[in-house]
Amino acid sequence: MITGSKRVSDYKQLMKELPTLRHVDPEKVYINLPGERCPKYTVKVEKGDKVKLGEIIGERDGGFFKQPIYSTVSGVVEGTTEKTDPTGEKIECVVIKNDHQDTYHESITDRPDSVIADFKKKDFVEILREKGLVGLGGAAFPSYIKLDTDKDIHTVVINAVECEPYLSSDYRLIKDQPEDIFKGLSYVMQAVEAERGVIAVKKTKRELIEVLERELARFADLDIRIAELDDYYPQGWENATFEKATGIKVDVGTLPMEKGILGFNVSTCAAVYEAVKHNLPVIKRHLTVNGDAVKFPQNIRARVGTSVKELIELCDGYREDVDEVQVIIGGPMMGKSIPDDDAIVTQTTTSVLVFESAEYVEEPCVRCASCVYSCPVDIQPVSIMNAVKRNDEKSAQDLRADRCIECGLCAYVCTSKIHVTDYVRKGKALLQNKL
Amino acid sequence: MEIVTKSSPHLRRPQARVTRMMRDVSIALLPLVVFAIVQHGLTALWILLAAVFSMAVTEYIYYQVTDWLERLKEAKSETEKSIRDLKAEKKELRAEARQKKTEEAKEAYASFLSDYKEKLAPLKKELKEENKKAPTDENKSFRLWNRRFTLTNFSVVTSGVIYGLTLPDRIPLVVVMIGGAIGILLAKLIFGGMGQNIFNPAAFARVFVVLSFGTLLSYETFVADGAAGATAMSILNENIFDSTVTEHYGIWTLFSGIGLPGSLGETSALLILVGGLYLALRRSFDLVVPLTYIGTVFLLSLSVMFAQGLDFWFPLVHLFGGGLLFGAIFMATDPITSPVTRPGRIYFAFGLGLVTFLIRIFGNLPEGVVFAILIMNMFVPALDYPKWARNRFSVRAAVIFSMVVVAAIIITNVGVHYVG
Repeated sequence: MITGSKRVSDYKQLMKELPTLRHVDPEKVYINLPGERCPKYTVKVEKGDKVKLGEIIGERDGGFFKQPIYSTVSGVVEGTTEKTDPTGEKIECVVIKNDHQDTYHESITDRPDSVIADFKKKDFVEILREKGLVGLGGAAFPSYIKLDTDKDIHTVVINAVECEPYLSSDYRLIKDQPEDIFKGLSYVMQAVEAERGVIAVKKTKRELIEVLERELARFADLDIRIAELDDYYPQGWENATFEKATGIKVDVGTLPMEKGILGFNVSTCAAVYEAVKHNLPVIKRHLTVNGDAVKFPQNIRARVGTSVKELIELCDGYREDVDEVQVIIGGPMMGKSIPDDDAIVTQTTTSVLVFESAEYVEEPCVRCASCVYSCPVDIQPVSIMNAVKRNDEKSAQDLRADRCIECGLCAYVCTSKIHVTDYVRKGKALLQNKL
Repeated sequence: MEIVTKSSPHLRRPQARVTRMMRDVSIALLPLVVFAIVQHGLTALWILLAAVFSMAVTEYIYYQVTDWLERLKEAKSETEKSIRDLKAEKKELRAEARQKKTEEAKEAYASFLSDYKEKLAPLKKELKEENKKAPTDENKSFRLWNRRFTLTNFSVVTSGVIYGLTLPDRIPLVVVMIGGAIGILLAKLIFGGMGQNIFNPAAFARVFVVLSFGTLLSYETFVADGAAGATAMSILNENIFDSTVTEHYGIWTLFSGIGLPGSLGETSALLILVGGLYLALRRSFDLVVPLTYIGTVFLLSLSVMFAQGLDFWFPLVHLFGGGLLFGAIFMATDPITSPVTRPGRIYFAFGLGLVTFLIRIFGNLPEGVVFAILIMNMFVPALDYPKWARNRFSVRAAVIFSMVVVAAIIITNVGVHYVG
């Protein structure tokens, strides 16, 4: 196929129909100490301490922000251990044995609606900072910094596109808790005094749109609309979503806030509601366990800190006839393949995919330009690949390799099955080393 | 069971395969092959077979020879490796001694030389014995199948069939074979094989045959009143405004190709368009290139028609009379020898159209398609140059390009005015 095509088969039919399995009571939870953006941390509990659900057990330090670490169960601290995090690194985790009581910490109390109605931006920012809320779509950027923008925001966009194939966690979240999303959105709109709210959903997810529209009727006093986007990859990339949902083009490298748009992932939005209304940090989240090498794929609502191995076993484990598997945290296009299954569910884990490892035979590049035609940021992956092979920084610079968002589309469409994305990554690294 | 790691993305598009693309081109060429055999009899079949055969065999031999040479280079045993290392060290030291001319380097070289032969002699003896004992089988083994051979992915078949279809029906088979062998060798293999070539092998082979054996080629005449062995384009070559061409060959004859003299596959515009439609539906080629190419020739001939007050036969003969459709759909779309950006491909195809038309009108040759393809192939690296190649039309580029188009139309018409 010599063609620019952003269509990626999404393999979601089966998973969309499956109900969400609740797996919220693991024997032990492992709370990651360093976060994705926070290498430094301090622990405030010791072995043998009794902790309650929602109690602060430590603090992460991300340089320009601090983030408290919360216990997601009530029970006894059993010390620390090493687990694999979603990026494949080994990190320190606090082990807490669950006492199955779910005793909430004293600070976890509901706020009355009348109090929330008087909240200003600084109150919301304070709550989100205190609860350590980060972008749950995978970016892990602290939400309070995003909310604390001094720019004039006119539109809040909730990103429910979920363009990655195989994933259905956001889909299930919207079906299970549509009200939370609308309430979370109304809080964000109240905080930044935005006039409009947009919920961006893929056009093909008819049922979701139905659910959202039914819910929308109850929030008629707010100017919220549902934007139906085309079924393209990477439609869920922030800039693409904003452009299609609001008509405002945000260039690579500029912040959407400067154009008056504030974007949140749909699961972050639901978490905003939990944090503001119930004063809860992220305790549980939706995730998908899917892939061709796992026996019974499931949508799961799991507690943060649950072991991934446990979740795979919940799906009846790996298929026996498969010799080599890949365990991927995140989507199949951008997700990270981790070296072992001794991993944990963190706040930002959207899915665990288990694939039979496939070998692709590379052929010589025939310059069909499918990668060029498909690229969402209009760079030329094939030329960057050739520049990288020559170790040619100058050309990589001219070809703007630094614009790449690593969506993986170039390798997906390649007729010769070349791993083009890897070459472009090397091109980006080449430029970064130079600077 | 084992867990392995790979970098993202972890999915690939199943339909995206080089083999599928090349096979589609071969399928699209099938109606033309059948038509050629029906029209010209078994001669056509022999020509096509000779074309494919010569290209495939040349490629096969080339890869076998290069593989053999590579295997020769590899050291067969530890002993041989140490001999080579020793020799390399000697060479290095000598070069250093000569270049730097310092006492130190000279001394080092001299001291190395003093025991060089003593070191070398036992190693050589050992190697001799080794070889006598066990002539290593794997080094002598002859692999029948070469992994770089492109017969499996239809690449060489496609090139061969396209080359065969561009040939006239009266041509010695020896010439076909020489052309095929030279074409694939000089235009493809020497550059490093599939994906590396600058020139389209089929176009190169065809041009080679025309330039080297031009007098041996001629066209068969079918119709009684047809100009003897002259194609529509060669009639126009005598006088570019010769409207009698439509008396010899009606527009329907030009379109269907039935009874039209010309190259084997170039005559039937209808079947070429069918093939093009198939490729477009299968998305196995980039539609931008043929559309722009054909559109450019049509536009230029239309402008000449208006300027000279000709009838509509003029652009139609230019569209259907020569190898334009075949070249535009099957040769210019070869992705390997096209630029990679969409604007680049548009400029490329525009250049093809312009050069083709200029050769047809002003050139000594009746037909300019293959020459235009080879000429524009040379501009591909320039069109892909990192500094200006972009995948979106900028306003500036669009303005400049439209100015170039207007300039091309004006220059062509001024030229035609003086020539005609």
